Amino acid sequence: MSTPVSLEQQHRISQFYYREARLLDERLYQQWLALLSDDVLYTIPARHTPMLDPSLRETEALLNLQQETGSGLAPPLRDDSKLTLGIRVMRAYKMNSWSDNPPARTRRFVSNIEAYVVDGGFEVYSNLLLYYSRYGQDNHLYSGRRHDRLRETADGLQIAAREVLLDTNVVTGPSVGLFF
Amino acid sequence: MDSLLQPLVSADGSHVSRRVFRDPSIYRLEQQRIFARSWLYVAHESQLHRPGDFLANFMGETPVIVARGDDGQIHVSINSCSHRGVPVCRADQGNARRFVCPYHNWSYTVDGRLVAVPQEKKVCQTLDKDKLGLKKVPRVESYNGLVFASLDPAIESLESYLGDMRFYLDCMFDRYPGGVEVIGTAHKWQLRGNWKLPVENQLGDVGHGPFLHGSLLKNTPQVEELERYGLNVVPKPGHGVAVRLLPESAPAAQCMWGTDGIAAFDPEVQAYLLERQQAVAARLGDVRARLKPLTYSIYPNFSYLWGNNTIRVSHPRGPDAVEYWSWWVVDADAPEHIKQKLRVNYTFFFGPGGVLEQEDAEAWSQQVIGNAIEAADDVPYYYGLGLGEAKPHPEIPGMIGSCYDEHYARAFYMRWQQDIGAGKTGAAP
Repeated sequence: MSTPVSLEQQHRISQFYYREARLLDERLYQQWLALLSDDVLYTIPARHTPMLDPSLRETEALLNLQQETGSGLAPPLRDDSKLTLGIRVMRAYKMNSWSDNPPARTRRFVSNIEAYVVDGGFEVYSNLLLYYSRYGQDNHLYSGRRHDRLRETADGLQIAAREVLLDTNVVTGPSVGLFF
Repeated sequence: MDSLLQPLVSADGSHVSRRVFRDPSIYRLEQQRIFARSWLYVAHESQLHRPGDFLANFMGETPVIVARGDDGQIHVSINSCSHRGVPVCRADQGNARRFVCPYHNWSYTVDGRLVAVPQEKKVCQTLDKDKLGLKKVPRVESYNGLVFASLDPAIESLESYLGDMRFYLDCMFDRYPGGVEVIGTAHKWQLRGNWKLPVENQLGDVGHGPFLHGSLLKNTPQVEELERYGLNVVPKPGHGVAVRLLPESAPAAQCMWGTDGIAAFDPEVQAYLLERQQAVAARLGDVRARLKPLTYSIYPNFSYLWGNNTIRVSHPRGPDAVEYWSWWVVDADAPEHIKQKLRVNYTFFFGPGGVLEQEDAEAWSQQVIGNAIEAADDVPYYYGLGLGEAKPHPEIPGMIGSCYDEHYARAFYMRWQQDIGAGKTGAAP
């Protein structure tokens, strides 16, 4: 993760993310799904409040983020594949997917894009703020950090892996079954 | 008519007032007369293996610490310092020797005994620390690894409280020699809604399945099986189980646990589950070997989804808010990679990111709008579907109705009315 991207690569990756955000905000989920590789791993870890380890006091390790997200078999909030993401997309366009009908108004803000050159593509961190407004005055905000693996393909960039680290202990929005 | 004079729940349970879901004074009574007097689920034993293992939970609105002490026993203490009330456990789960209150650093063992008061040596008096421990929750009992606690010292035993619910709980929690284990921490989310609606959902409301979840479940073999073999069971008023009782001719692959999600599409998982099913009849008997529960609730706020392997608790947070906690449960003896593959049966369908639960959350939160309509207080909610149809069954205990019979909810609200009205102890009516 040591080779930073060039200015041109940074620009290309930023444009890719902005387009991705626009597709999602315009509810074009089928077009969004095409941006994901067939072997995509899409996860949202569950984030809890651990007991800090006193033997690590006065070191940065005391506050490391990994201890908040569980390990091994601990279930994440989301553990999606292309198949399950495809079911989520298919569901969204059905008349009886009641939490998406009427659909929410959303706005995704992508920032802090930090990218590195890796074998076959890029490793990228970005921040996401998602404003989510349902029918009536039912408004919510989701904040998180995305850690992606972007793959270079003949058709352009594809998302091969995405981990969304949400910044909450107790989820306060109605669902995290959304596309972050 | 003055709505305050109307009964909250009609005599046969088929009408329930909107105020039951809205009124702050009724909500306070629920805390005093239901949550302080019932057995409440607090942990699974698999989460507390070693002395010092603890988790933070709630009993209704009361924050508690559930921990295995040095004596090897599970203790439940109220998470509030005896000095100024500040919570002393500030983590969700872990292992600790002491909890130290941030305010004045009084420190406690994980099972709530006060062991150090830093100011003590600067004053002349010697404190009686034995009397200054965290307030203990007086009753803690387990059934098949499920740990319940009660704030009522005089409550009946947990076994008696559960009654015939045990017959159905065993279908999962005593299905395998190693039992089940809970892996990871609770998934928690705050929802708009009254705490009773998520409970109703798992108490027996499979009637919403093909409709609220129609986008995924309509015209599926699962719904066909449910409508053909599904039964709503009230093992004891307040508790409920929705089951599928398959005929003796049903093949083992249809009767086995683990097929309600998508994990069993994997041939290796399918083969494992089938092998596990072979020993079930010897443990649970022939009838329960072909009994497939679907949803469970134990009065007042514990639920379990057999199909999607999740324990959940509906924590009340005011009349209009729920903090819903959800844990993943799996066959403890399964190899790691099988557990890994089974996990999607939970994560894809339930929990805060679950594709089914997102629809449930929509219904629960929208009900708040209806609850608030005082102009319609003369029109209580209708709970009469299947009224008078439930009856005993030759093979399984409790009162049994069809899968769309709402007797589970009528029994729950009649018990609720009795507890709220009479303010009696947690004993079942």
